[in-house]
Amino acid sequence: MYQFNFQPVVDSMDLLLHGAWLTVRLSLMAMALGLIVSVLGAIGKTSGIRPVRWLIDVYVEVIRNTPFLVQIFFIFFGLPAVGVSMSANTAALVALVINVGAYGTEIIRAGIESVPQGQIEAGRALGLSPAKIFRYVVLKPALRNIYPSLTSQFIYLMLTSSVVSVISANDLASAGADLNAQTFASFEIYLVLTIMYFLLSLGFSALFAVIRRLFFTYPASR
Amino acid sequence: MNMKLNRRLFTLIAAGAFSAGLFGPALAADLEAIESAGTVKVGMLVDFPPFGILDASGQPDGYDADVAKALAEYLGVEAQIVPVTGPNRIPYLLSGQVDVLVASLGITEERAQKVDFSKPYAGISIAVYGDAGVQVADAAALAGQSIAVTRASTQDTGVTGVAPEGTDIRRFDDDASSVQALMSGQVKLIGLSNVVMSQVTQAAGDRFDKKFDLSSQVQGIAVAPGSDALLEKVDAFVAEAKADGTLDHIHQKWLGEPLPDFVKTAE
Repeated sequence: MYQFNFQPVVDSMDLLLHGAWLTVRLSLMAMALGLIVSVLGAIGKTSGIRPVRWLIDVYVEVIRNTPFLVQIFFIFFGLPAVGVSMSANTAALVALVINVGAYGTEIIRAGIESVPQGQIEAGRALGLSPAKIFRYVVLKPALRNIYPSLTSQFIYLMLTSSVVSVISANDLASAGADLNAQTFASFEIYLVLTIMYFLLSLGFSALFAVIRRLFFTYPASR
Repeated sequence: MNMKLNRRLFTLIAAGAFSAGLFGPALAADLEAIESAGTVKVGMLVDFPPFGILDASGQPDGYDADVAKALAEYLGVEAQIVPVTGPNRIPYLLSGQVDVLVASLGITEERAQKVDFSKPYAGISIAVYGDAGVQVADAAALAGQSIAVTRASTQDTGVTGVAPEGTDIRRFDDDASSVQALMSGQVKLIGLSNVVMSQVTQAAGDRFDKKFDLSSQVQGIAVAPGSDALLEKVDAFVAEAKADGTLDHIHQKWLGEPLPDFVKTAE
């Protein structure tokens, strides 16, 4: 019978928490930057300017049809050949932003297209400026409509970030792998890691619920 | 009930007999028997490049195979190469299924209690290598440098053990990724074995050089305990192969440099 021994995990909790902190930071930054890329991508895609649309189509299709592992290897090991060299953690962030940006572009584009034409016309009839129409009449309802898909994509991004240990970024999965290499307590370490990732997911879900409450509910009554 | 007990008893006896066979006295190899048979059975790894590999036609090849053939020639017999694996190589030898092991068997004290080793015929060293332009003469100079190692490898243990505070140790999942990090300039240094480094040098030329040694492990040809006449012959072979350049030649062929000094001088 296998003897469970959680002592190595307890002793190295610092290491794991440090890794978890980087995973949180990496995910938050990738979500924020990814959201910006996604919104810009969606605007470009729904705009009438053809070359912009084509460019974004290429970006979205290339990223969505290649594995994340290959993308991150390309950025970390490939780009230095053309003079673009960044640290492992920066490369991880860039890869995550590029990746989530492609998926987010499609999600937000769907949201923008779900806004009925009549609503935009109503905005015009009220005399709102084009910028205000986009912000209040198109983008906000669009984000409200696709909020669940976008946030589940963000949760998925946080889980995907476990892959960045392959380029020696020091995230939670990497901390677990290092600890496992020293202690060989695989079952205990990966059990704790599973629980930690699950808790992180729950935490992000709660955060997204709060953001939804604050920014994306209809003002029912004032 | 009775039937069950009998069966259990039988299993017990069978298991007892089996383990007695496994852990019984080792079968010593007889030099005269080898000479009269005209073949020496050599156990070697075939999954440990470049020491033991299978060539394009499925035949054992590599450093160990060349040494095995040279040894057979020295003994005046044919070499019959038997592929073994890391875990089963010593049982193969002790049960008499092979006469000698030329199986990259690192000489350690634990193993020396089970088998008799010849003088070292090969070695693997672990060292810090890096960009020729980077000045790092010893472990203390690692502070502030980034160094790639393969997670949980001997070089990981070695580098982690000597690296001072402030060393940026980057851990990758396999040698290929660590080497890639070095080649692409993501790190300036790497902890690596001379075996893998010889492949890097083939690809990168003299871009990288050795900074300092971390540890080394010599490998010996092994015979079963009590095979004294055979061991004497094997030792004489190793001494001659070192002296006349045979091992230098084989080492050059497979590892791109002559037999390293730590193997030549090791006792």
